[in-house]
Amino acid sequence: MKKSLLFIGIVFLFAGCKKWDENLSLATPVVQVAQPISDAAPLCGAIKGTMLTGKTYTIGCDVVINKGDTLTLQPGVHINVKNKSGIFVQGALISLGSKDKPNFITVDSLAALKNDAPNQDPAKDPAFVGGWAGIYCASTCPMLILKWTHVEFAGNGLSIAQGALVNQSSGTAFSILFQNPTGIFVMEDSWLYGGVDDPIRISNGRICFMRSTFEKAGIKGGDCLNTKGGTVGDMAYNLFVGIATNGQKASNKGQPVGGQQTNINMWNNTFIACGYRQIQTGRGANINFEEGARGMAFNNLMVNCKFGLRIVNNPAADTANIRYGYNYEYGDSLVVVNQIYPTNAGLSGGWTRPMSTDIPDYKTFLPANYQFGDTYDGTPVIQKNNPLFYNFPLPVPGNIPLYGIQAVNKYDFRLQAGSPAIGKGFTGFAPVGAVPIDPVYGVTEMTLPGIDIGAFQSNGKGNQHY
Amino acid sequence: MQTFYRKIYFLFLSAFLSTACLAGTIHGKVIDSKTGEPLAGATVQIEKNSIKLFTTVNLDGSYVFKNVPAGKYELTIKLLGYQTVTEHGVSVAADNSLVLFNTSMKSESAELESVTVSAGGKETDHTVRGLEKTAPVLENILSQKTIELLPDLTVANALQRVSGVAIQRSSSGEGRYAIIRGMDERYNNTLVNGVKIPSPDAKYRYVPMDLFPSDMLERLEVIKSLTPAMEGDAVGGTMNLVMKSAPQHFLFNANMATGFSGLFSNSRPFAAYDHGAVNNQSPAEINGNSYAATQNDFSKGNLNFTNRSFPFNTVAGATVGGRMAQNKLGIILSASYQNMFRGSNSDLLVPNAQPQVVGSLDNQSVISDLYIRRYSTQTTRIGLHNKIDYQIGRNNKISLYNMYIHMNEFQTRSTYDSVYLNKLSDNLYRSRTQKQSIYNSTLQGEHLLVKQLKFTWTGTYARAKSDVPDMAEYDYQSAVTPGTYIVQKTSRIWQHNTDQDLAGYLNLSYSPNVFGRSSEFSVGAMYRHKTRDNYYNDYSLTPVLTGGLPQYWTNYNSASYTFNPASNATGAISAANPNTYTSYENVSAGYAQFRFMASKKLELMGGIRIEYTKQSFNTVMPESFAGRYGTVQYTDPLPSLHLKYALTDKQNLRLSYFRSIVRPDFYEIIPTQNNGELFDIKGNDSLKHSTADNIDFRYELFPGGADQLLLGVFYKNIHNPIEYAIVRNGGPSAQFFEPENFGTAHNYGFEAVYTKYIGMFGLSANYTYTHSEITTTKQYFYRDPTLGITSKLLQQQRPLQGQADHIANLSLLYKNPKIGLDVQLAFVYTGKRIAQVSPYYNLDYWQLGQGVLDFSFEKKIKGHFAFYGKINNLTNAPAKTVIYQAPAAGNAFPDQGYSDKTVVGKDIYQINILGGLRYKF
Repeated sequence: MKKSLLFIGIVFLFAGCKKWDENLSLATPVVQVAQPISDAAPLCGAIKGTMLTGKTYTIGCDVVINKGDTLTLQPGVHINVKNKSGIFVQGALISLGSKDKPNFITVDSLAALKNDAPNQDPAKDPAFVGGWAGIYCASTCPMLILKWTHVEFAGNGLSIAQGALVNQSSGTAFSILFQNPTGIFVMEDSWLYGGVDDPIRISNGRICFMRSTFEKAGIKGGDCLNTKGGTVGDMAYNLFVGIATNGQKASNKGQPVGGQQTNINMWNNTFIACGYRQIQTGRGANINFEEGARGMAFNNLMVNCKFGLRIVNNPAADTANIRYGYNYEYGDSLVVVNQIYPTNAGLSGGWTRPMSTDIPDYKTFLPANYQFGDTYDGTPVIQKNNPLFYNFPLPVPGNIPLYGIQAVNKYDFRLQAGSPAIGKGFTGFAPVGAVPIDPVYGVTEMTLPGIDIGAFQSNGKGNQHY
Repeated sequence: MQTFYRKIYFLFLSAFLSTACLAGTIHGKVIDSKTGEPLAGATVQIEKNSIKLFTTVNLDGSYVFKNVPAGKYELTIKLLGYQTVTEHGVSVAADNSLVLFNTSMKSESAELESVTVSAGGKETDHTVRGLEKTAPVLENILSQKTIELLPDLTVANALQRVSGVAIQRSSSGEGRYAIIRGMDERYNNTLVNGVKIPSPDAKYRYVPMDLFPSDMLERLEVIKSLTPAMEGDAVGGTMNLVMKSAPQHFLFNANMATGFSGLFSNSRPFAAYDHGAVNNQSPAEINGNSYAATQNDFSKGNLNFTNRSFPFNTVAGATVGGRMAQNKLGIILSASYQNMFRGSNSDLLVPNAQPQVVGSLDNQSVISDLYIRRYSTQTTRIGLHNKIDYQIGRNNKISLYNMYIHMNEFQTRSTYDSVYLNKLSDNLYRSRTQKQSIYNSTLQGEHLLVKQLKFTWTGTYARAKSDVPDMAEYDYQSAVTPGTYIVQKTSRIWQHNTDQDLAGYLNLSYSPNVFGRSSEFSVGAMYRHKTRDNYYNDYSLTPVLTGGLPQYWTNYNSASYTFNPASNATGAISAANPNTYTSYENVSAGYAQFRFMASKKLELMGGIRIEYTKQSFNTVMPESFAGRYGTVQYTDPLPSLHLKYALTDKQNLRLSYFRSIVRPDFYEIIPTQNNGELFDIKGNDSLKHSTADNIDFRYELFPGGADQLLLGVFYKNIHNPIEYAIVRNGGPSAQFFEPENFGTAHNYGFEAVYTKYIGMFGLSANYTYTHSEITTTKQYFYRDPTLGITSKLLQQQRPLQGQADHIANLSLLYKNPKIGLDVQLAFVYTGKRIAQVSPYYNLDYWQLGQGVLDFSFEKKIKGHFAFYGKINNLTNAPAKTVIYQAPAAGNAFPDQGYSDKTVVGKDIYQINILGGLRYKF
């Protein structure tokens, strides 16, 4: 008994003296020191510095731009990405291509197989294979600037090691990810070709997409410019051809605590044959406002898309704070024109109100007692108001189904003189202006709303890809 | 002579109604010699020459023979498990007199006490009331007999009959986890014969209590205050499953029953799938992580469903046991089998993942989908256990205990998912196979070293496994043309985990008489090494675009699927994920405990336990990942003190204090992101374990017989409780649920238990009031003048998840031993409680109060046979879940009817009926 009392005593002594708090030891991450850039050998690991004009670089395995570091591309840089690797940006990436010397981030072996003639089978098209991971920015990335830059064939599923660099699950298959609410992402006069899931996912950030071209984006789902909660900025003068789902989407989903409401102004964009590869029935428009997002949509030109402008009702976009009008729709077939204003029967859940400034004039085909979501007969406007592109056959010839148009190919979407889209635009609003105007660290030119509908202005302004 | 007596006897009988002047009455009570519990069902026989009369003891312990002819009788009382009482010469005078004969019977069981490990004091009492009364700590016990008569087939369902316990149900309406005094499963632990067992759960430590068929139990103990000798990781309570042990005499019991669920019919059939078509291993497990799977690697049979209109349930069990080698060797072997077809019809309104600002209303939960779900679940349980004890001399006893529990669950879930305000619908069909098992082998020894000094030791190996192979789901969505559908994604998931314990326990106790009073001082030590593995591999296939367009649906077998991007077909992507990890945990503990009578009436028990925990983990994350492996260690001193003051022989006052801990679950401290149902879940490496100070005060009255009145209050102060909160530091991909410590939670309540037997009728009732408070961070969406729609974090106080303010049980019993009939009507009420904590302010999911009425009976028929039946959910009470937000104006949601809340979930299980035969020898 004495012994047991002694033990109790010792135990209490222990309890009194020793600090028994939690003691945690964790594996510390291995961070590589950034290496200078060379075009002599394939790049691998942490890199920083400048890629020089006219040089071709090979990325041989995943490259990381460490937090605080910057990788700059001078005009005329060609990057060939091999081994399904990716560019992981914890610091900044600035690609300064020019009209004469655009930059390329591509997979050369796939680029050689590019075939943009209509009617390609998406199951075999190299655009959709995910030839490399893509450009993935971490939440520490202050800046992603792409000027006159081609980003092609990205969208391979992330491995766990890749995902861990940017806080993503393995299997994620974007082409570009941006996720810093205070960082800026500018894509100006650039091109995005191909992709698997959302080609460009903006979890949040301050953005500007100006005068860029998007083709064959997303194989059977995926919104081309998919912005989520806390994204502010502008999307204007962009051209979208053959996008799986939406060209431009604004949603306030997943907004950070205390973040800004998603607010995107979208003007003077052109959408050709979008939404057909999306496997979900009600989805796929050209512009979507969803779940708490606000903004504007004016002067957009939509040709042969699965749905017209879609203001989603559940969960509802911030309808009280969305302004839209002066949008122009063209449809070859009854199926298309019957969804200029998305119907409940079309299973789209749209809440788009017809506007008196829309083309065609809704009074010519909607019944007098029309309520949004109602089914209507669009027969009067089939193939009406041909926008008269420089080089694009409308109506689309019978041997090409509408969904067979997937890329710009040799088409030219400038407006011919005499196009009914000329001079019909609205210029009485301003951009959100979330990024600085700057030739390097911002947007070089913020092109204000244009008087002609669509991305190409008859005064030569707007999209320069022709 | 015989004829003469018979005539006399008939004469007496004929005088039954008049005051017989030549007869008397023998009456009395029969109780357990130790506990005083009435021994209902014992047979009493009086015999005089050829006169032989029988009766059976009533619920309150009484028996009576009326109009007994005068004379001297031999009275015999028999009850299985008790030494037969024989009394010669009970005289009845011929003057209408009353003869009182009270007696007590001695139990003859010689089991090795299994509570040695869990409760320091070794009690030899065998019936539960006696244990409750004399136990040094607060506990509630259900005896084997009580459990047998309950309408419940699993331990989880039986637990709801215990005072202060509520249960969480699975999707087929079966109880699964116990919430003890408002503390959910995280705060409770499970022992089998006093030894902790690991859990087959993929994420958590706590054990699904529906694994255990209730007929394997000798008794079920819910221990609400801990002693130093017990494992210190329970705050609500410890559930100790004491399995049957070898009886004194040969015993053979068997039972078999069949039944059905009222849910299934021609119009609502049970949807079955081919269990043999389930691939036990994933393509990556079979072919390695670099193998790219194709559609052909996946079985189709487990996504082809066949309808069964009236599947029959089967329940069977057998127990055989006895002692041999001059009673030195005791063996019991028990097997239990259940094959049950259950299900539920469930309407679920699914709120959008994030609240909205609707007009001028902030933080509104907006319904995005209506799920109409049909669950068809076949559950097969197999329980095997055996116990062998061997007495070596007078002072040594060794026992070996083996248990194997296996449960297969084959579940079909169909979901009709209609998107609200939109005619779009998805049709999803899922099959999920889960195989869970727990194996436990325990070797125990008990040695009286010298007089008053006892040494006990326990070595145990236990392994819990869960295997969810090939959980498969497909989906097709309505197309624009009515009646046509588009093929959507299909998924396959393989998940398995094991949790393995190796543990040893040593106890040394010294029981001297101090100043003429008994006392006990004990010390002990425990060490457990736990290994946990988790494997997770998921495949998501998308439909091939046919000719560049989405594919129309005909059936699953003809749909064609592929992987986009192609690399997602390999295990390198699909199996290498943070859900695949390994954890280790070493717990070592030592304690010193005393128990003695401080005065004639005051018993003191207490001491201290010290637990040292070392938890480490290893993940599949790359070198660049902070915290891909890690170790956390902590030590807790856990003092306790229990006072028991005997006011009178029949009344006790108890006061208890103990400190206990709750360890985080393994994956909760791993800083990786795991797939969750609504949100991804991210571990938190700075998460601390919780500690709780618990105080109990209880008044007990045992007026005699099985009657009792217990009134108690409790208070718990929980430091660093672990709760989940939403973390949003980026976009949707960077938002997740994270376990965090939230200051201090309080939980207090009041418990009352009342049992009263009058003749053949019994009433058993308990009521628990619980109030708990915890404050956690919630997100609140509103419209800001400059930011627009935005959100902020607010602190919100709420009850702990699962805590109901009111829990009540009411059982009415009728026990007629003469005709061998037992009937029980059992009602359980569980008040409103939080079913699911929402990350958003004021939007928790509440389950409304629910009363469930069950019925059971057992009727002895010829020989050793009895017919029994159990009917569950007589009133088909629906389980309703609500959020406290007025239903949106003009909505057409089903199941509504309140102005202040929206019903977001309604589950219907229907009645379940089971009937069969029991054989007892």
